[in-house]
Amino acid sequence: MPTYKLVYFNVRGLAEHSRLIFAVAGVPYEDFRIERDQWPNEYKEQCPFGQLPFLEVDGKVLAQSKAIARYLAREFKLTGKCSWEQGLTDMIVDEFSDILSEMRFYWYESDPEKKAALNEKFNTETLPKHLGYLENILKQNGGGEGFIVGDSLTWADLAVANSNDWLRLVCPNPFDNFPLLTGLIKRVRETPQVAEWIAKRPDTPR
Amino acid sequence: MPNYQLVYFNGRGRAELCRLIFHAAGVPFEDIRLDHTKGEWPGEWKAKCPFGQLPVLVVDGKMLAQSKAAARYLAREFNLAGKTSWDQARADMFIDEFDDISTEVYKFASEKDEAKKAEMSEKFYNETLPRHIGYLENLLKENNGGNGYLVGDSLTWAGLGIANVYDLLGGTDAPFAKFPLLLALVKRVRENPKVAEYLKTRAQTSF
Repeated sequence: MPTYKLVYFNVRGLAEHSRLIFAVAGVPYEDFRIERDQWPNEYKEQCPFGQLPFLEVDGKVLAQSKAIARYLAREFKLTGKCSWEQGLTDMIVDEFSDILSEMRFYWYESDPEKKAALNEKFNTETLPKHLGYLENILKQNGGGEGFIVGDSLTWADLAVANSNDWLRLVCPNPFDNFPLLTGLIKRVRETPQVAEWIAKRPDTPR
Repeated sequence: MPNYQLVYFNGRGRAELCRLIFHAAGVPFEDIRLDHTKGEWPGEWKAKCPFGQLPVLVVDGKMLAQSKAAARYLAREFNLAGKTSWDQARADMFIDEFDDISTEVYKFASEKDEAKKAEMSEKFYNETLPRHIGYLENLLKENNGGNGYLVGDSLTWAGLGIANVYDLLGGTDAPFAKFPLLLALVKRVRENPKVAEYLKTRAQTSF
């Protein structure tokens, strides 16, 4: 078993998807967290692009949060059962990145009036549009009472469940109108390894 | 051989990486370019697209959305994703970095206020881009001195990705002037016989 070290800030943020993958796989790793006010520190030199997170595997370093998550998912057989399913999981995960990009317009706006308008637009138009497509994709996968890709848990299902935590930072009850996604999130969070991790993980604001 | 269709607009944009992969691999595909002025988009396609957006890759009638997911699928099918799981992850890492660069370009390219656009472009070319390319130059150098490839010892979609960034930045050497290893790599990729043949004959488009 390789030695894994995941280095990030002391938040869920862009590393939480990887932490969930480690949890489901039951693979031990060093969950190394750096407080914001300690950054940058000596770890910055190790970062391929000067940014966190990075993953260290037996001394070799990988950057970019999605590349890290996908590598782990692949190693732990959570990427889907064939090349096409892998493509579908990639597609789902990228859609959540697009949602996050749109959320950032609101998040980083400093003018209070513009910020409120962006928040409203994100919550009432942008987000429902994206979630509607995802609800549909889930439904097309055998009715939507199972997993979002194929017939077993993948890192795409973990991305859906994880999104509930960060979407709720800007939108109350984001999945209210999407019963199948709501059901999937519940099933994933109740998976024993996920439930155990959620119960014991550091409690951070985001 | 499966039947491949790549559906996008008439531009390089978010479909060009897939096109480069098809051509580098020598695999034929239907290069569908929709003309929104003729009602081809949204037309019948939008309702069929998994996320209502282009590009989509259609393989024997099944659809895959999201440009990087599609490109990675093709890279994997055509042995251009990286030879080991770790190499594949390193290639993914580079592709995500190129995407970060592209996102910055799209930000000022779509800015309507001319003064703000000029300011954003200035900051991008003088600060943001050199920082990104500096990291890339270092990482290339770490791969056996930097006279080969970004990942491993053969061409991957990461190499095609940086060649695509070269075009996105205007297709001139200027942005890479201070980064000789990366510029040499871009030239090597562009001179790959199948890539060079495609670059000679591809449609000239505004984006």
